[in-house]
Amino acid sequence: MSLHCENIIKTYSGKDVLQDVTLDLQPGKIYGLIGRNGAGKTTLLSILSAQNPASRGTVTLDGEPVWEHRKSLAKICFSRELNANAESGLASMKAKEYLRIASTYYEDWDKALEERLVKLFDLNVKKKFGKMNKGLLSMITIIVALCSKAPYTFLDEPVAGLDVVARERFYKLLLEEYTGSGRTFVVSTHIIEEAADVLEEVIILHEGRILIEADTQAFVDSAVHVSGKAEEVDAATAGLEAHHPETVGRSKGVTVFLKPGQSVDESYDVSVQPVSLQRAFVALCGEEEAK
Amino acid sequence: MNERLTEQKSIYLQISEMIETDILREILLEEEQVPSTNELAKLYTINPATAAKGVGLLVDEGILYKRRGIGMFVSRGAREKILAKRRAAFAENHVVPLLAEARSLGISKEELLTMIGERNI
Repeated sequence: MSLHCENIIKTYSGKDVLQDVTLDLQPGKIYGLIGRNGAGKTTLLSILSAQNPASRGTVTLDGEPVWEHRKSLAKICFSRELNANAESGLASMKAKEYLRIASTYYEDWDKALEERLVKLFDLNVKKKFGKMNKGLLSMITIIVALCSKAPYTFLDEPVAGLDVVARERFYKLLLEEYTGSGRTFVVSTHIIEEAADVLEEVIILHEGRILIEADTQAFVDSAVHVSGKAEEVDAATAGLEAHHPETVGRSKGVTVFLKPGQSVDESYDVSVQPVSLQRAFVALCGEEEAK
Repeated sequence: MNERLTEQKSIYLQISEMIETDILREILLEEEQVPSTNELAKLYTINPATAAKGVGLLVDEGILYKRRGIGMFVSRGAREKILAKRRAAFAENHVVPLLAEARSLGISKEELLTMIGERNI
């Protein structure tokens, strides 16, 4: 089983939001979808779950098209970020009603888990969305995602608005559900550092294109930060893919992405340090700011 | 097993080193079961595949072994094996960086040996 999209293009009023995106989501993995604001993350997730049509390209689940295909749709859950503003019309919806609608939509809905999570998050389900803060709304999107039991589940910024204790709890719940079920999760987040160790695969979306799709550990291990006297750094990294140079006086630092078989020439007097997923991401996608 | 993870090294290596350290300190005893990859994943909030890779490394080295359907156990002789391995890596991991720092500070070999001689192990 795999969820596959090919050559997806999405155009909004003449602007390409997604450009030729091809992706294969394998079952039983946790993917991280990271990208800057406006990179196209939410658009991609909504197209993969057939909540939004692609301008061009196809999305298939086990070879069958997803668009208007009930059997496939029941296997995909995209728990969207909730907005209780006037536009969304959700302000007067009670959490209880929303969860009930979700439970009828997903045939494998886990009622027991729903009750456990409501209790764990200490959620008042009689409260209207309009009276809830961002953290509470995030909890509801998390409950829908986990309880849907959908084999492919997407969470868009699930930890936005959650405090650090609730975020840690969310990742533990996600891992618990994942190890118990073997479902596939795609999690988009801006708080990269906390999520990094949970994500088996990382997908970096930048300006509508996929820059990286790789095993998280392999990607992080391929990046190193090299610093020292500028000439030494340049010599040590000659011929390597270097990003995000930063200089202070005679000193220079760059983030280098090593291809298999490549290495930094450490015979020069430089410091070579490991890089976190967040630093690697900034080095790749934050180029303009550095200039 | 309750050390914190750092960014300085791959997570799976840290997992295997932490299990080794616990065996060295006799927090984990030989022939005793070690936490499952799912338990490690939850404890450290890491992907179970990463935890499995760290445990797998120790299985390959014969430090842990698998009992089918039950889980992972510490091998007999694991502690000796880890001691031997860490002793063999001691010069590379600790003496080489020490010498590099000494060189860049202009500390002579004699001064270094005096410093070591003045201290107890």
